[in-house]
Amino acid sequence: MRADPDKKIELHIPSVSGAEKVAMERAAEVARRMGFSDDRIEDLKTAVSEACINAMEHGNKMDANTKVGVTLTVTEKNLQVDVRDQGKGVGEVATPDIDEKMAGKEQARGWGIFLIRGLMDEVQFGSAPEGGSMVRMIIHLDR
Amino acid sequence: MNKELQLEITTKGEVAVGSIKGDLTAVNGGSIEEAYRGMTREGVRKILFLFSKECYINSGGIAILIGIASASRKNGQAIRIAGLSDHFRKIFHMMGLTKYVAIFPTEEEALKDF
Repeated sequence: MRADPDKKIELHIPSVSGAEKVAMERAAEVARRMGFSDDRIEDLKTAVSEACINAMEHGNKMDANTKVGVTLTVTEKNLQVDVRDQGKGVGEVATPDIDEKMAGKEQARGWGIFLIRGLMDEVQFGSAPEGGSMVRMIIHLDR
Repeated sequence: MNKELQLEITTKGEVAVGSIKGDLTAVNGGSIEEAYRGMTREGVRKILFLFSKECYINSGGIAILIGIASASRKNGQAIRIAGLSDHFRKIFHMMGLTKYVAIFPTEEEALKDF
């Protein structure tokens, strides 16, 4: 049996603090309709929020004239979320260390990628086709 | 687009209880830091942060809590957290924050632990 063609939803949110919640809630709504459990939807919400915040802060430097592109792709077994910025993304970051942060040897921030990797089933970082950076996050329906 | 952070401080015995509603983010979490500094100036040694289950917390907001937890160790204060949703309890555990700050399901359980 052939799966239905992938369904895509495109969002463009401004690089303004709090706008990430628009993408977060839209992704949650789609995941709910697909049948994801409540706890996995919470995982997705945090991952989408953190990816959008990284795109705004590191890629777009919080320039309110720039946008963060979010594409939700629904397949039979997965929800894929691509988050794109108009800059150079967050780049390689060291794994955050709570002990170092508590000791004041590392900045308290810097958890976004750690959380995205920990909460999603597949994560890829790369370049967006139209330029800028992209993170692709996939969550499996059958986990 | 962020919800306002609402913080109300009450006292239960020796414990200052900061009840938190709304969004805790790097942008609007300054009021918690300010409240913590105020409590420290007043000599408070036991602090409970009591979250509403509906709170939206992002990594910038959690970083604020890490900063407060770090300062509390230097200041000889005990900090507990309660009321978080199961999801954020999991997140705090993933980050390792539970090594330093005990987290309880309810206010009552947290108060008993001081």
